[in-house]
Amino acid sequence: MGFKIALIILFLSIRPWVASGAVTGEIRGQGGERFPIAVSPLKNTGGNTADSARLSTGIADAMVHDLELSGWFKVLDRSAYIENAQSSGVTLGTFDFKDWATIGAEGLVKGGFSVQGDDVTVELRLFDVYQNKERIGKRYTGRVRDYRRIAHKFVDEIINQFTGVPGVFNTRIAYVSNSGGRFKEIFVSHLDGSEKFQVTDNHTINLSPVWSPDGRSILYSSFKDRNQTLFLFELYSGKEIKFTPRGGGRYLSGKFSPDGQTIVATLESGGNTNLYLLDRSGNVIRRLTNDPGIEVSPAWSPDGKQVVFVSDRSGSPQLYILDVSGGAARRLTYSGNYNTSPEWSPRGDRIVYTGRVGNRFAIFTIPVDGGEARKLTSESFDSEDPTWSPDGRFIAFSSNRAGKYHLYVMQAGGDNQRRLTGSGGDDTKPHWSPRLD
Amino acid sequence: MTNRMRIPWSVCGIVALFSIAACAPSATNKPDSAASAKSADADASGADRRAGEGQRGGTGESNTGASSLKQMQEGKSPVTPASSPLKDVFYEFDRYDLSADARSTLRANADWLKNNASARVEIEGHCDERGTSEYNLALGAKRAQAAREFLSSLGIPADRLSTISYGQEIPVCREHSEDCWKQNRRARFVIVQGRSTS
Repeated sequence: MGFKIALIILFLSIRPWVASGAVTGEIRGQGGERFPIAVSPLKNTGGNTADSARLSTGIADAMVHDLELSGWFKVLDRSAYIENAQSSGVTLGTFDFKDWATIGAEGLVKGGFSVQGDDVTVELRLFDVYQNKERIGKRYTGRVRDYRRIAHKFVDEIINQFTGVPGVFNTRIAYVSNSGGRFKEIFVSHLDGSEKFQVTDNHTINLSPVWSPDGRSILYSSFKDRNQTLFLFELYSGKEIKFTPRGGGRYLSGKFSPDGQTIVATLESGGNTNLYLLDRSGNVIRRLTNDPGIEVSPAWSPDGKQVVFVSDRSGSPQLYILDVSGGAARRLTYSGNYNTSPEWSPRGDRIVYTGRVGNRFAIFTIPVDGGEARKLTSESFDSEDPTWSPDGRFIAFSSNRAGKYHLYVMQAGGDNQRRLTGSGGDDTKPHWSPRLD
Repeated sequence: MTNRMRIPWSVCGIVALFSIAACAPSATNKPDSAASAKSADADASGADRRAGEGQRGGTGESNTGASSLKQMQEGKSPVTPASSPLKDVFYEFDRYDLSADARSTLRANADWLKNNASARVEIEGHCDERGTSEYNLALGAKRAQAAREFLSSLGIPADRLSTISYGQEIPVCREHSEDCWKQNRRARFVIVQGRSTS
């Protein structure tokens, strides 16, 4: 497998943008609203023009998608733009900021590209329209077909410029889809649905995909060998390891510890489910729970010292937290009679989960120390299977609000709920990757 | 921040991306191991490891239908045939205790099993679509185990009874209503032969 070196980033200039609200992690425009930003179609600065239109608007469209998904920006409609992207310049002094101030833009993204064979070089810049300054300038070189990744990486830089923490758009989501049929297979794709890749194709039921912390492997459970168990699939090599419980039983799901060295897994044996700590090969290191009831859906604290999980030991499924080093579990949720699928925020402060409201399911978060749970989604439809973005600022989940189950993203407080996927089937059980290179 | 070159970092990323595309087919083109009857069940006793799948075996005249997974793979609904000597038992939402009706059905199933002593049965636990997939897999395991333990208490040897949970994954009814959900909250009994028990 000979791969060409394809993506080189040159940091042309980085200066702090003292934008309003920059230190709070919030991005707001001058009026306190979403930050108004314009994203110009890119200028073709030379080379083959066969892909010109696709690249010019495609890269801009990918950036617009990400900026809108973040919920922090108001992207000004392209039809209002005054200047001609192909005839005006892309560097400071070669275009007129008034053309952008006039339409209300406070930020402006401009860029150019040139194609050389299968490769494309893209320069992108972020300008401060009020102060007539350049804030970020970067040059990327990659394969033409990877142009959307370049856009995602630049938006991550834009968000870093405003908040001090990079964005999470150069990431992927692993999820389960039935593609309109009855089999459930594992897929991964970018947040915008691009570069969709089918991980399993065994025509059975595959569930609970999770990323390894290095972003190189997917752990999932499958019925492909008839009895359900876990499989660890390496995306790079295509190698796969099967986890076989030595003492019998079936692994229902697993989650990598933050350091990637261990896995907490649910093992069902004789009708009972309990949590076990495994090594990366699926060998039991030690048992974590010993309860006759249902103990499932473990998730790690970001420091790797605790696990939140679901137990029905009280008579209904509720969330509990235990120390991996030992000791009794502490009950976390007391409201509601059906609380499941917890995930611990990478920021450490809150746990997101699925709770039953009447006959519907909604996404909630609750402080790690207990207290008032906050409902983030409406009970006029179902929302389930929440997963945090790697920066803890967003939550992806599945919901049937548009009929079938699709994947959605919202801000961690519940604002700006937007649909990600639109396949013909039900898309469920999303798991957000770590930041990718 | 200073101007930094991140070339190695970037190269790593792109290699990862291309590797996926390049390596995936070999991984996904493996033979469909689900079609093989070789079981990975660690409980298998050596004598019981002969191949067997679904409805093969059992007594000639009895038909419980194949396993729900196999039926799904063949594009069929995992319905228990009306002619099956082993009837489904049903459960309340988020419950795995056995109702009076469920016990009555299990007694009849036990009678048939006593009269057909060569039959081995896999008990499937199923759930309705509501709730979380993983919790429902655990709940289905509880339902299957409750049925197994009751049959054992009626004198059916435990080594003739194995369990599997399909959670909410293979519903027999696909509408979104209680009428449908109650049909899916069930234990199903599939005659298998030569299959290990757990």
